[in-house]
Amino acid sequence: MNPYRPQPRPNARQHFWNWFVTIGSVLLCLLVLPMRLPGMDVLGVGPNWLLIWVVAWSISRTALDGAIAGLTLGLLQDSLTAPAPTHAFGLIIAGVLASRLQQRRFMQEDLVSVALIVFGLALITETTTAVQLSAQYIFDEDSLYKSLGAIWQYHQRVALSSAILSSLWAPALYYPLKRWWERLNPKGPK
Amino acid sequence: MFTLRRWWDKNALKAGLILLAIATAWGVRQTNGVFISETYQLLTRPFQSQPSAKEQVENAYVLELQQRVIELENQNQGLRELVDENKSSKLQTTTMAAIIGRSADNWWQQITIGKGTQAKVKVGDIATGSGGLVGRVISTTPHTARILLLSDPSSQIGVKISRSRSAGYIQGQSGERATLKFFEKDPDVKPGDVIVTSSFSRLFPQDIPIGRVSTINSDASPAPEALVQLSVPISNLEWVSIHPFTPKQDVDAAPAKIVTDDVL
Repeated sequence: MNPYRPQPRPNARQHFWNWFVTIGSVLLCLLVLPMRLPGMDVLGVGPNWLLIWVVAWSISRTALDGAIAGLTLGLLQDSLTAPAPTHAFGLIIAGVLASRLQQRRFMQEDLVSVALIVFGLALITETTTAVQLSAQYIFDEDSLYKSLGAIWQYHQRVALSSAILSSLWAPALYYPLKRWWERLNPKGPK
Repeated sequence: MFTLRRWWDKNALKAGLILLAIATAWGVRQTNGVFISETYQLLTRPFQSQPSAKEQVENAYVLELQQRVIELENQNQGLRELVDENKSSKLQTTTMAAIIGRSADNWWQQITIGKGTQAKVKVGDIATGSGGLVGRVISTTPHTARILLLSDPSSQIGVKISRSRSAGYIQGQSGERATLKFFEKDPDVKPGDVIVTSSFSRLFPQDIPIGRVSTINSDASPAPEALVQLSVPISNLEWVSIHPFTPKQDVDAAPAKIVTDDVL
């Protein structure tokens, strides 16, 4: 399989494998989420695999594609935990930002840049959750947390651990997915 | 119209796929991720330990203590019957289950166990581990169940001090600690006191140990607070026992409905 060989259009068989790999990798991320294997755990916090997937997907696609991926994976993560506050907001923002950053040429598509992007976006995703919880605290009477201070103190711990772990594990998921999508569509998708 | 038609011809497949993806994700969310939980259980089955492993760990000392507790409980039961108090509901155990997964997110404190409705685990059941209360079952699939830990900020449990009967409620703090808020202004409490669930907890049966008081903050408003060290080592727990329990009231009902229930 020479990646530089001209390919007219992916045929049905390639389409099938493309979807198989795409959906399979999402499923794999979902199944790894509840696991705490050695090296995937700092202060009881694990890497945000769905965020890594959204970044890998969005980085060579349009902002709309990124947002849709964020929405879909956010809903899936809600199904595994609790529906409110939703994870979809954070992942949509991550998808859009990852795609914009790359289009504006702020960042290249190498592994170090991707790790950096994931680090920043992990902070943003966790902040989105903390903002939602704060809004719930301010506007809703039965809030989960007893004070805004408690939310943001916990946010510091979660955001930093999650950002470090996610950025360290990002290449493990990003590299194979990128190679696969490149091989399937050498000119760059769409 | 023509441009719309042309756009549709070009993008129908993509739009369809996008809708399909979002609809699938929504469906999975509405079913509480049954499919994902079941797959996870199936895949991790080879790595799950068997109950015998736990029995091997139990040493003679624990057994001796258990015998003594049973003896004391029986005596207590007899004495209670003498003074004609309502019979204390003894906990029955549905099953022992291995913890196969942790929370899929950093903000919620949940665990996934490897037994579900097929082993008669149902929503509302409570889970205990070595050391005391762990949490309660919030969703089930045929072979897995999800437990909301008492360390989750959304867990609020009515508790009392075992020694002095001062009552309050605890709220999780996302770790192995929880905050106890007292109902009265001047509770009789000191560091080291044992906390157990109280009889007015709607979601949990009474007298299950929870933890010990570590520090007390008497300046908190409106009533004093205490920091409680939970007795269950949640971060390295491997097994939980599931006990059948039906909440005393429908916790999902609207507040107004609960009030009318009280009035009636």
